[in-house]
Amino acid sequence: MTALAMHAPVMAALVDISSPKGAPWEFLVVFATLLLGPVLFKRAGVPGIIGLLLGGYVIGPHGLNLIGSGNATLPDLGQLGLLYLMFVAGVELDLNLLRIHRRSTVAFGLLTFAFPMVLGTIVGLALGWEVAASLLLGSLLASHTLITYPTVREAGLSSDPAVATAVGSTVLTDTLALIVLAGVAGSVGGGRSGVEVAVQIAVGLIVLIAFSLLVLPRLAALAFRLLGAERSVRYIVAITAFLSAATVAELFGIEGIVGAFFAGLALNRLVPNEGQLMDRIEFFGGAVFIPVFLVSVGLILNPSVMVQGQTLELAGLFILACLGGKALAAMLSARLLGFSRPQATLLFSLSSAQAAATLAATVIGFQLGLFDSSVVNAVLVVILVSVLASTITAIRASARMPTHDRGPQPLGKRVVVGIGDPELAQGALATALGLARADGGVVRPVLVVPETAPFAPRAARERLAQIVAAVGVETLPTTIVDRSVMHGALRAAAAEEATLVLVSEPPEQDGAAAHEHPRQDRAAVRENPRQDRATEHEHPRQDGAAARVAPGPKPRGSRPYTPPADTPHTPPVGIVRGQETLWVDAPRDSCYSR
Amino acid sequence: MARSGTLGTALLVLGVTLSACGASGLGAAGKFTPRTPDTLTVATAQVPDPGFWKGTIAHPTGGFEYGLARALASRFGLSRVKVIEVPFKQLTAGNLGGADLALSDITVTKQRAEHVDFSESYLDAPPAILVRPGTEVPDVHAAQGLSWAVQDGTTLREALAEAIEPSAPAQVLEHQREVLLALRVGRAEAVMLDLPVALAYAREAPHTYAVAAQLPSEAVLAAALPTGSENLEAVDSAIRAFGADGTIERLGHEWLDTDLQGGRDEGVPALRTDE
Repeated sequence: MTALAMHAPVMAALVDISSPKGAPWEFLVVFATLLLGPVLFKRAGVPGIIGLLLGGYVIGPHGLNLIGSGNATLPDLGQLGLLYLMFVAGVELDLNLLRIHRRSTVAFGLLTFAFPMVLGTIVGLALGWEVAASLLLGSLLASHTLITYPTVREAGLSSDPAVATAVGSTVLTDTLALIVLAGVAGSVGGGRSGVEVAVQIAVGLIVLIAFSLLVLPRLAALAFRLLGAERSVRYIVAITAFLSAATVAELFGIEGIVGAFFAGLALNRLVPNEGQLMDRIEFFGGAVFIPVFLVSVGLILNPSVMVQGQTLELAGLFILACLGGKALAAMLSARLLGFSRPQATLLFSLSSAQAAATLAATVIGFQLGLFDSSVVNAVLVVILVSVLASTITAIRASARMPTHDRGPQPLGKRVVVGIGDPELAQGALATALGLARADGGVVRPVLVVPETAPFAPRAARERLAQIVAAVGVETLPTTIVDRSVMHGALRAAAAEEATLVLVSEPPEQDGAAAHEHPRQDRAAVRENPRQDRATEHEHPRQDGAAARVAPGPKPRGSRPYTPPADTPHTPPVGIVRGQETLWVDAPRDSCYSR
Repeated sequence: MARSGTLGTALLVLGVTLSACGASGLGAAGKFTPRTPDTLTVATAQVPDPGFWKGTIAHPTGGFEYGLARALASRFGLSRVKVIEVPFKQLTAGNLGGADLALSDITVTKQRAEHVDFSESYLDAPPAILVRPGTEVPDVHAAQGLSWAVQDGTTLREALAEAIEPSAPAQVLEHQREVLLALRVGRAEAVMLDLPVALAYAREAPHTYAVAAQLPSEAVLAAALPTGSENLEAVDSAIRAFGADGTIERLGHEWLDTDLQGGRDEGVPALRTDE
């Protein structure tokens, strides 16, 4: 102790240790918050989003002040995270559900938007707020985030009409809310007349929609084709896409998040939910960008303001307007659409959670000077209450619902393409890609190597990877060893739970070639009784059905395929020879028909 | 069924409206209550202050901070702006002389925040070196060899001591106008000022002053309010709104001939250091 004390001045003279500061320290603080915030709160049974928001408070100017109010880096990163969040919201929406249940989706979407919108606006006006702030309040309470969807999906209810309706309505409510936000944001800048603002917003939205839905998907598809061999390039293309749409939006005075959301919708088909690119987008979004946004919002959080009477009073009114409006919309829609009481509760639970979209609009309102921190803190209370209420109701309603183990899946949801010769793969891959894009699905190319082939057909693999990238398929091909391309493709299909199998073959030399594979397959099964049993176990109807080869039209990929619930997976099979596709009705007794 | 739905809707609308009407009813962006009815009283250290205040205390005619004060008054629905002069050291010590707020090139610091409440920042303000035209300050070694003057009680004095470490002790003067005088008459070769202020002086008298370099810093200027002021939320919202609707940018172009909000003036080189 004494020695240490004696040496302390010497050490101090030799080692100059200052208090931590600068970029590395700030990033350390932020990433430690990303790490610890959700973990600690999830252990306590509280959603991770709350942990990130409170983590932002702890490190922020109202907490430990580790990130001061003058810091620009975290808010800038948070801004990028906000754009990213809206892009992900657009890109991960299931457009097929929207299409299948479009009538109920539109009906419920309009009601669940209108009720909280009107009630929220009334609250704002009754509080004496200006019209722009009142409308923004209405719109932010009218949107919703599908926080409880994973709970409902895990309960096997994803294909329930009420669930599909609620999920589909998200597109409508969020789009309408963002349009209101665009109008409000445009109206508060520069003292222009209402007509000027309306024209500006209308022209801006037309240009933005044209750019997002016509230009962006083509540019992205082209970039994927030309540069897509590099996996990281695809990710950068997606980032560039939403940043460019956000920039176009801001050129017209529309908030960037509107552009990012439209960019997500635009790339929805190109970025299937089960694909590798979506995996990357979700990974980086979930790990860094979106949590950083939530932490940056937490910097505004001020518990001393949150527990003030005025904040709680505001929060109570917002909760009444939001949850009351959502509950009314769910009840009325259930009656109109013929849903049961548990289904009505599911409608409410899926549409009542306020999180990402609400937070985004609130932050914009704060940045525009329309809201002060008490409104932001009141909205954070609303988010907390709505997340808890929707989670509890989702769990209870799910328990009262009959489960749907497997719902109808679009034909192009997961297309396995069996390839023997990479040089013949282009036609099958292009057909598969067309079907998959139409259904928001993915293509899984499988290189089938004969059992007698060399151990590592590296050249074939590399050539196939080139062709796959050139066609625009994003998934890297896998390689399996099997006795025939057809057999290998069917095995891969079983593993992948494919909804369709395509097999590429050389162009037909004579009329008999069309029957070659199924006969071979059947013959092979007879030659090996053990294999026969195994194959029958994996694909019980494959053998008999494969004998019936029928040339048919190219499917348009809109009809759902429902695998039989009591049998292993038996998807339809197509053989692609050059430009021609022959359809093999593999699952003989399945409900697939065309 | 339809009747019960309509009834439920009507009851909810009624309940929400009545509850909202009975609430305390502060504005969504905060409420501003002036000390003198219909008047925004603003304290500042000196008028005129090139770029920031023009005219006199009794009759201010323009400048960035005067424009900001007028914009604030307009947003709060106040018809008058009254300006009072309070020494800078008193302002940062929390004595605003009875004003609603102070607009006086005040840099936000933790120490000052113990005496006043700072609003959202309205300008970036890194320290800058003002010299007479012809004096070169390429790097920190050249800066160390100059004779310096700096205003007492400012963050600039700390910046000079920490970032430059002059070879000879700097002259520490009470008022900014004395610092400028020292440079003008040759008692000092360089002075340290906030960049927007230095640019304003150089713009007003290009044959007398030149901005030689800026120092890397996250310093920002903000309005100061009395500690615990209930007007803070309203002023914060207003400054955010002025950032969003282009008011601050317009004032910057009009009075400072530069746009410092959210960035640095690219025309002024950063001082080279050994690091």
